[in-house]
Amino acid sequence: MRYDAIVIGAGPNGLTAAAALAKRGRTVLVLERAPKIGGHTRPIEFAPGFRAPLNADAGWVPPNVAKVIGERSAHDRTTAVRPYEAPGRDTQRRTQLVARLHKFAGVLGALYQLEPPDIDTTSPTELLPLLGVALRTKALGRADMIEFLRVMPMSIQDLVDDTFEREEPKVEMAAAAIRDLRQGPRSAGTTFNLIHNMIGAPDGFVTRATWKHEGPDALATAAEKAARVAGADIRLGTGVARISVRDNAVTGVVLENGDEFTSATVLSTADPKRTLLGLLDPVWLDPEFMHAVKNIKLRGSTAYVMYGVDTEVEPHGFPRSVTASTVALEKAADAAKYGEVSPEPHVEFFSPSARWPHLAPAGKHVVVARLQYVPYSLKRGAWNAAQAAEIGDKATCAINRAVPGFESSIVHRAVLTPRDIEETFGVTEGALTQGEMMLDQILFMRPVPGWAHYEMPVRGLFLAGSGAHPGPGVLGGAGLLAAKAALKKL
Amino acid sequence: MTSGTSRYDAIVIGGGHNGLVAAAYLARAGKKVVVLERRPLVGGAAVTEEVVPGFKFSVFSYVVSLLRPEIIRELDLPSHGLQILPLESTVTPMDNGDYFAGWGDADESRAELRRHSPRDVEAMAQFGRLMVHMGMAVKPILSMVPPDPSSLAPSDLKGLLALAKHFRSLGSEKFHALYKLMTMSSADYLDEWFEFDTLKATKGASGIIGTFLGPRSPGTAYVLLHHYMGEIDGAFRAWGFQKGGTGAISNAIASAARAFGAEIRTDAPVSKVLTSGSHVSGVVLGNGDELRAPLVISGLDPRLTFTQLLDPKTLPSDLVDGVRKYKFRGSSGKVNLALKTLPEFTCFRNDRDLALRAARGAFSISPTVEYLEHAYDDAKYGQFSRQPYMDIVIPSMIDPGMAPPGQHVMSIFVQYAPFDVTGGWDDAKRDAFGNTVIKTLSCYAPNLESIIVGKQVITPADIERITGLSEGNIFQGELALHQLFFLRPVPKWAKYRTPVRGFWQCGSGTHPGGGIMGASGRIAAMEILKAGTSA
Repeated sequence: MRYDAIVIGAGPNGLTAAAALAKRGRTVLVLERAPKIGGHTRPIEFAPGFRAPLNADAGWVPPNVAKVIGERSAHDRTTAVRPYEAPGRDTQRRTQLVARLHKFAGVLGALYQLEPPDIDTTSPTELLPLLGVALRTKALGRADMIEFLRVMPMSIQDLVDDTFEREEPKVEMAAAAIRDLRQGPRSAGTTFNLIHNMIGAPDGFVTRATWKHEGPDALATAAEKAARVAGADIRLGTGVARISVRDNAVTGVVLENGDEFTSATVLSTADPKRTLLGLLDPVWLDPEFMHAVKNIKLRGSTAYVMYGVDTEVEPHGFPRSVTASTVALEKAADAAKYGEVSPEPHVEFFSPSARWPHLAPAGKHVVVARLQYVPYSLKRGAWNAAQAAEIGDKATCAINRAVPGFESSIVHRAVLTPRDIEETFGVTEGALTQGEMMLDQILFMRPVPGWAHYEMPVRGLFLAGSGAHPGPGVLGGAGLLAAKAALKKL
Repeated sequence: MTSGTSRYDAIVIGGGHNGLVAAAYLARAGKKVVVLERRPLVGGAAVTEEVVPGFKFSVFSYVVSLLRPEIIRELDLPSHGLQILPLESTVTPMDNGDYFAGWGDADESRAELRRHSPRDVEAMAQFGRLMVHMGMAVKPILSMVPPDPSSLAPSDLKGLLALAKHFRSLGSEKFHALYKLMTMSSADYLDEWFEFDTLKATKGASGIIGTFLGPRSPGTAYVLLHHYMGEIDGAFRAWGFQKGGTGAISNAIASAARAFGAEIRTDAPVSKVLTSGSHVSGVVLGNGDELRAPLVISGLDPRLTFTQLLDPKTLPSDLVDGVRKYKFRGSSGKVNLALKTLPEFTCFRNDRDLALRAARGAFSISPTVEYLEHAYDDAKYGQFSRQPYMDIVIPSMIDPGMAPPGQHVMSIFVQYAPFDVTGGWDDAKRDAFGNTVIKTLSCYAPNLESIIVGKQVITPADIERITGLSEGNIFQGELALHQLFFLRPVPKWAKYRTPVRGFWQCGSGTHPGGGIMGASGRIAAMEILKAGTSA
């Protein structure tokens, strides 16, 4: 069967891309390997009757995506974040700093709704939208504009050391800044990662933990509806084995079960390495491009532990961090550099069932812990059950310190190492970011330098997932921009 | 030596190499200039001293490559004694008893690299070519006054436009390569090119010089590029040893300045800067002498300039705040040794000729990237590195005048020795540091301890105490993106001026930063001359 476009992956990016294409009258087929939609946002059943999403924060829904999928409540969100109070003089300083960072996040948010500018950008159609971002930057005012340029490449450690006296406000920000990186707070560029993940956060907060009342995969559900209503076909439980190419142009896909579909346009939300090195025959890529793709730093370093418990751990479900100091964060990061798991990992946990009771059976609850740093490749050989259990024990121990009695309430436990994340969600090296969000892998450098405009060297192949600009945490962002790029060619 | 009041056109505070360069250019333009140096000799951290009788130590800095060719030319430094002897090799002893060398001769280097990693040979050729392009791409920026991107003043817009034009002229491929170098860690950057770990460690080590970061820290690829931008006699990135030590470089610049009519006073600390309204009017020396001048130029670092020379209470709060946030973080130490004979490196035990040849170049104690990263980890938590990185030269091998006949001086530059070491740098800590350096090096040259006849150990606290460099940071402030270019030292005050009319900055705490470049001194002098009467 022939389609105008085939989309690989039914996560927020894939479904948004499908909706955008279908709304413009194109025939679209979405193929998803998992039995359900949602990508990283879909809850998984880790024990009979117990389900949990990976993250408290699904991401920010940019206005351009909200418009396409008709998601009215993009700005109307229920926040489930515990208000933070910084002690003493640090309160005032925190308020000022966070307000400033929010302004910077706003500029990034505007930039993230456009294709990334590059040094050789000349066409008016590309430059004009950038003017909007430029004006927005100028509206920051002279001092803030310079400060924006100054703090972006800074380490979060420097920023918090300059701002605060006490450790608590420092570690709150530092923990948010190192999210999903294989870097410690002293690494340059961690402030950028903080600002990136602050887009759409409520005023006064450095993290989003914005939940829709329907469920953790509410955005994906809305996008799916918009896509279906516009006429897209969505097939679940069917994985793509290969992207077919002839004469350096895409001709369609071949599924794991042998079925074939033809199209001259394929948008893949699988990560860049899987898409370009896994689904394509390497003969179609020139060695330099392949080298660049191989050099993409994925750096998946986050593990998850899901618990079924029989007592309520967090009545509001707020995410909580157990790490008490920035030095502890930095020490945790050290281990990953050498291919080791942190002796004392950074642990955050939240209780999604407090928000969505249907995730657990009556009277039971779900807690999800995320740990950094847990490298994908261990120096000492491959992952085994004992090592995975050790991760689980570390998480349990950490949560037990914050919530006495936690351990005795555990009914089920499932550990997801980066290896498990890779298998369950299809992301290479368990990197949900599809490319570590460091300064050298953003904007015109994402996924590789010079190839940031979604179409890949093979004609008709578009990268539409978090591995493309604007990256992870921007729900539907890459999908929409990739769809727009594809529409120009269709 | 005159007492009482003297009048000058310009007073330079600090006889470091940038101050001397500024003085030379101003004197060349006909200004009556005096340089005031606190110590008995000029040079700052580029000094040669006979600490152990008969043995000359290039006490702090020890090699040169970044001294701007235009300065060498315009001040005719060779006629004043500048003579840089190239270091023909860098040898890295490996843990398995082998060594890895980079030789001056390209064919030999290729053969040597092929011995370890044939695949890296072609990569090295490409890498070398790219670095030359990157050096050329950055070169015009080194001599630019940084434009303020938030300003609408014509000169700033012009500067920004020129910068944009320059970057566009590189083409996207080179621009992306440059962007990578500005944002990545040196280890990650080198991982994209090479396989051989010792090669990556040795090259990557130039990304941690004077920097409180490890090879896996983003930002070190920039420091790597910074150190690559050298030009000795036209050959990009070649490092050399000045005959007589780096003190001789300072003396050559001082000699040129004097030839143009500048006066240089040593043992002349400045105790106060005089102002009249919002304009500088002169200085008072420690001995009470007053010197008057409408121009005063500080070669000291931003902390000394804006908290000691100028009264912070009279300065705008954003400048004071910016200086407070400006990061020094000295992380380097130095061990200078007087040796009765040559050290014998185990890796050359079977080849005396090769050993002698290698001794005329540099030694790098950087066997693996992990070695360097562990050294950094130690320092992060308040210790000096238990197994430090070292960059070693034996100057007496190419400049026999540095030591008595048959004997030698060895200059060991060390990372990491954090300024804020736990417990502080007292004598015991200094000794422990020196012993760690010697013990570590002894693993590679076992006869070392038995041949030491004299020793000088310099900690960051010593660097600060002796030269004034705050926290012992050798670049007058970290070379980190958030404090470079239009952000160096502080936003809005990155063009060598200060809020006090007539008071200027010319040290490495301004663009383009540190190393023995002289660029800051020269740009500052040019700006002063351009400003004319409104300077």
